Amino acid sequence: MKVKGAKKVHYDSGPNMTPLVDVVMVILIFLMLAGSFGGVSRFLMSKQGIKTSGGHGRPLKPGEVPDINLDIHIDNAHDGVGFVAQGTGIPPTADADHLEEVLVSRLKQFNDAGTKTDQLQVVLYPGRHVKYKYLIAIYQAAMQAKFEKIAFATSH
Amino acid sequence: MKKHVMPEMKEGGVNVTPLIDIVMCLIIFFMLVAKIGVTRGDLKSVVLPKTILGKELKDFSNTLTLNVLPTNLDDPQVTTLVDGQPRDIKIFDRMGGQTDQPLLRILKEFKATHTDPKVIIRADKDLAYSQLESVLLSCADAEITNVAYETKEGKETPEGQNDTPAPQQ
Repeated sequence: MKVKGAKKVHYDSGPNMTPLVDVVMVILIFLMLAGSFGGVSRFLMSKQGIKTSGGHGRPLKPGEVPDINLDIHIDNAHDGVGFVAQGTGIPPTADADHLEEVLVSRLKQFNDAGTKTDQLQVVLYPGRHVKYKYLIAIYQAAMQAKFEKIAFATSH
Repeated sequence: MKKHVMPEMKEGGVNVTPLIDIVMCLIIFFMLVAKIGVTRGDLKSVVLPKTILGKELKDFSNTLTLNVLPTNLDDPQVTTLVDGQPRDIKIFDRMGGQTDQPLLRILKEFKATHTDPKVIIRADKDLAYSQLESVLLSCADAEITNVAYETKEGKETPEGQNDTPAPQQ
């Protein structure tokens, strides 16, 4: 007896994946459009506040001894590109890496003289037109030199 | 003897299994990496300076983000979220012979309604200090001393050169 239909084409049906692929593609495109993929942000923290002329950035607590200030005056370079930073015991420099080295040695001098790091405060005195990116570079140099307190002062 | 013939098998189309594998991986990646619906009122036009130091903040509760952009005027353009909407906030509003300080008002209100308030400053890297100073003074007047300067991870290159990626630490 001849069995009919044995040679018929047999489609491998299984679950229909088309709706799944549709939905998944829609989700993928939504995520790609709606998501924001910015670079990693860093935050330079300061609790010192801005130091106004002759005053402090924040009110002193009762019995608190004012910090010893290490002032750094910052101006634009003469050619308008870069900065010049200088202060007491800090020769004029336009290089943040060099400034960091100087600050490391200044911190060591203070520590050797018995002044603890948390009693020191680096105060940045920028000129009015100094660009923010230079201030951040100097702020970072002070952080790398292991100073714990860094504050901005009003412009000169 | 009759020979038994197996039925002919035929695939019904393109094999989508590898496609689904890859697409699922992409979806999981985007779900983990993308920040959807989380906004601090960041302005994309602010070009942040780059640093290699600095903390990575995970918790943005009790923070107020101020975008500070340079202008040709005395005061910078300050933008922040007010009632969930980004708004330009003037530092000094001189109208009708009186001077109002809208930014100071917002900062004082923020301090009054939050414990341990913190201001995040997203200032443009080319902002002049005189313009940043007025924002910092407003923070000081509002008695908010906890300030974080937001930067991008990386190393700032000399002017006129292209940016290079951050060194891996």
